Amino acid sequence: MLKKITLMLISVLLIAVAATGCGRTEDKDTKGTVKLAYVNWAEGIAMTNLAAAVLEEKMGYEVELTMADAAPVFTSVSSGNTDAFLDVWLPVTHESYIEKYGDDMVDLGISYENALLGLIVPSYVEIDSIEELNENKGMFGGEIIGIDAGAGLMAAAEKAVEEYALDYKLLTGSGPTMTAALGKAIDANSSIVVTGWAPHWMFAKWDLKVLEDPKGVFGEVENIHKYSRKGLEEDMPEVTAFLKNFKMTEAELGDLMGVIEEYDGEPLDAAHSWMNDHEGLINEWINF
Amino acid sequence: MFSEKLPVGSFVEKGIDWMTQNFSGFFTSIKEALSGVIDGTSWLLTIIPAFVFIILVVLFAWWIAGKGLAIFAGIGLSLIYNLNLWDKTMQTLALVGASTLIALLIGLPLGILMSKSDAANKIIRPILDFMQTMPAFVYLIPAVYFFDLGTVPGAVATIIFAMPPIVRLTNLGIRQVPADVVEAAKSFGSTPAQLLFKVRIPLAVPTIMAGLNQTIMLSLSMVVISAMIGADGLGRTVYEGITQMNIGKGFEGGLAVVIMAMLLDRITQCLGSTPQKSGKEFIKKLLGK
Repeated sequence: MLKKITLMLISVLLIAVAATGCGRTEDKDTKGTVKLAYVNWAEGIAMTNLAAAVLEEKMGYEVELTMADAAPVFTSVSSGNTDAFLDVWLPVTHESYIEKYGDDMVDLGISYENALLGLIVPSYVEIDSIEELNENKGMFGGEIIGIDAGAGLMAAAEKAVEEYALDYKLLTGSGPTMTAALGKAIDANSSIVVTGWAPHWMFAKWDLKVLEDPKGVFGEVENIHKYSRKGLEEDMPEVTAFLKNFKMTEAELGDLMGVIEEYDGEPLDAAHSWMNDHEGLINEWINF
Repeated sequence: MFSEKLPVGSFVEKGIDWMTQNFSGFFTSIKEALSGVIDGTSWLLTIIPAFVFIILVVLFAWWIAGKGLAIFAGIGLSLIYNLNLWDKTMQTLALVGASTLIALLIGLPLGILMSKSDAANKIIRPILDFMQTMPAFVYLIPAVYFFDLGTVPGAVATIIFAMPPIVRLTNLGIRQVPADVVEAAKSFGSTPAQLLFKVRIPLAVPTIMAGLNQTIMLSLSMVVISAMIGADGLGRTVYEGITQMNIGKGFEGGLAVVIMAMLLDRITQCLGSTPQKSGKEFIKKLLGK
């Protein structure tokens, strides 16, 4: 019995090791492999897949896409294992990561302007400003639904509670629990206030409004930056030049996110077809 | 003495920095070996046509456990195929299989060592406690430092998290072999090696199998967590489902994980013993014993 098991294990191991030889196909026609990582946020999926489509089809590179959580992605770019991450929100949201890893990465500039953070309510809720929250405490049960502890947005929300002297409890959770709570409240047609950001798929799914922030606690605007590992510019100057040029307007990104959301297959295929419909924009990026 | 916080965190961070700088070659070779094993297994599993694989599993389940499990295997795997999750399931199976195999290759000798030496037992036991109870999330970031994003750091975290049961139960199984049996073997002149491989380990097999079963279950529970650092497979489907609040997608992925877990659990539970209703017994009876 034991002998059989050992024999079985060894043969499986041997087959596995032997199989790797034929399992990998090296493509010699390409100029190299670009490793892009992204977090599973709608705007990041959209921009990263579009960049991958351009790199593959227009520029002749192989692209390796990896989806992971934000912290591992920053770790990987700063340690030089991943080439670029295109979804860095500054100056507020990802400030803590940039403080920690910023010195080991290169900022390639802004790809999307006027992103925003704030307190968000369903549009049928009758208040418009953060200042009205205290008068309507009963309506919201005195709670603001937050996201992950330690997120930049949460630090901003804490500051808002302080600055506006809100008599509210800021609950910690996660992005998914926040959207789940929001979805549940909307289904029940009840009032809720959450911490949120745009661009985000929740604005496509539901009718929402961002509460006015007269004191500017959530910052004027957020911009989405592209960060690469150190040394990418020397190794792949063309790729770096393309990534530096990569920039989308609200209408373009919204359209792309919508196309990906509605498409039934891989986001990369949707990005390919979007790319072919927007030759002009893409050519601006790759004509150096 | 209690006024200042001990620098445990920064000490660990410095240690990890130092290791990344000085052992990068070592980590690269581990990474390549591991990704070879996982990619190879996953390649092997995906070239087998799904229906052939399903038939093989059904026959195996019937042979080893009986009709009930065979029916479950047929329905469960067909459902996974129907939900378009076949490739992801095979990737997960490769990850779980490779992690379990490596946990076994390291864990069995460690368990044997612990059963032979009380000193080793005393040293290894707290390390196992540590490995098993440290929240698995904590392993993710150092794993990314050493092995980059992808399936390999996922497998490393999985191996660390899933290895303790096989070590513990190997140790326990060997220690529980009755003293009189050992005495008898000794009196017939067994050498220590014969005693270990022909008496102690065979008698400990059911306990070791229980350890293997636990190790497989723990590696499956790491599947979703390792998706956070870029491991492919069902975990990724679930993780994508959660992060975009796509409840249906998350549930489908989770369902496939459950089907796999139940199949692996029942099959490994029956590996150590042969139940009465299994196909093996059925054929024995059929052949007119």
